[in-house]
Amino acid sequence: MIETVVRKRIEVLTDQAQVKRITAAIDAVGITGWTVLPVSSGKGRDGRWREERVMGTDKNLVVTIASQENAQQLADSLAPILTSHGLLFTMWDVEVIRGERF
Amino acid sequence: MDSVGLQALTSPVVLFFVLGLLAAVAKSDLEIPEAFAKAMSLYLMAAIGLKGGIEVAESGLDGTVLAALAAGIIAGFIMPLYAYWLLRGFGKLDRINAGAVAAHYGSISVVTFVTAVEIFEIQGNPPQGYMVAVMATMESPAILAGLLLARGGSSSGGQSTKELLHEVLFNASVVLLLGAFAIGWISGPSGFADVEPFFGAMFKGVLCLFLLDMGLIAARRMMDSRSLTWRLVVIAIGMPLLNGVIGTAMGAGIGLDTGSAAALGVLCASASYIAVPAAMRLALPEADPGIYLTMSLSITFPFNILINIGLIGALAAMLTGDGAATP
Repeated sequence: MIETVVRKRIEVLTDQAQVKRITAAIDAVGITGWTVLPVSSGKGRDGRWREERVMGTDKNLVVTIASQENAQQLADSLAPILTSHGLLFTMWDVEVIRGERF
Repeated sequence: MDSVGLQALTSPVVLFFVLGLLAAVAKSDLEIPEAFAKAMSLYLMAAIGLKGGIEVAESGLDGTVLAALAAGIIAGFIMPLYAYWLLRGFGKLDRINAGAVAAHYGSISVVTFVTAVEIFEIQGNPPQGYMVAVMATMESPAILAGLLLARGGSSSGGQSTKELLHEVLFNASVVLLLGAFAIGWISGPSGFADVEPFFGAMFKGVLCLFLLDMGLIAARRMMDSRSLTWRLVVIAIGMPLLNGVIGTAMGAGIGLDTGSAAALGVLCASASYIAVPAAMRLALPEADPGIYLTMSLSITFPFNILINIGLIGALAAMLTGDGAATP
């Protein structure tokens, strides 16, 4: 039976222009990896948006997995800019194999 | 309408734009893939930069060129000031959004310029090649002015000054336009012959497809818009009219030929929707793209393409005493 451990999976929906800021915050709290995924369209409180790469209004999803402690530090560091920068931050428990890597 | 004016309005470039508008209004599923649209925008900037550089290699530089460059840079700093004042007073926008919109109206639209060049060529008044360099230098001053107005001297909420300056001076549009301009200038007409099949012969076809995409995006964004007020619509039409007159008069005043004076007018009248939105997303994330992009792309851009370029061409012909473009 393979042993698994519980870690936090975090997703941040952000404008393309702010991706570096998010990944820098992830690096700063000591999380060792992240993945940036393109997304195509959506709708929020301010209306619909769609991928418009020419205008630079496209969004990305930054995904990472971290320990509870690192995840909380990342949440604390991004919380002050969630509204001003239009970010969507979610995290939840996931089971991972090789827990020492996260 | 005279035959020259009709010829300009019925050119494939303008008609593809109209097709995009109509397709979006009819809720057609017509789509240009985003990666292809991005590639087309890079192609157009590289091609227009190259062409400008080659024309300057042939004609050389003189005092008129320096005067045009200075006029463009000064206009880039000054236009956001009165735009900001109008947006705050008449437009009822807050400081952040007024600064962001002002930056768009001080900067330029490459595709509006390229379309105007096509139309002025049809009318017999092609602008000089150095106007491409004027265009490239007008991209950035307004971004700086808009950010200063929006932030009011404070640096809270945005990126560091170093990152901002890097974005303003080395954004993709500026690097590609000035870089291609330098390549065209260095290589000259003989060097261009090798790449002419790609950058020359295909240019108008790519411009048609790009304008089709812009028509689709402009109309769809307009239909999705929630933030526009009638006051902002008035400003989005009034600003290009005012800036077009000021730019054309400046061009005529410093002794530019009819086509170049009209091109300066079009540059002043146009509002950015590529370089400035990208900079604003980085530096002013609090500003609402539903306001600044809808104004510049969905109102000012179609107004310039369909109406204002023709008006500016006629004004330039009148001010410079050239009858070729007079309706």
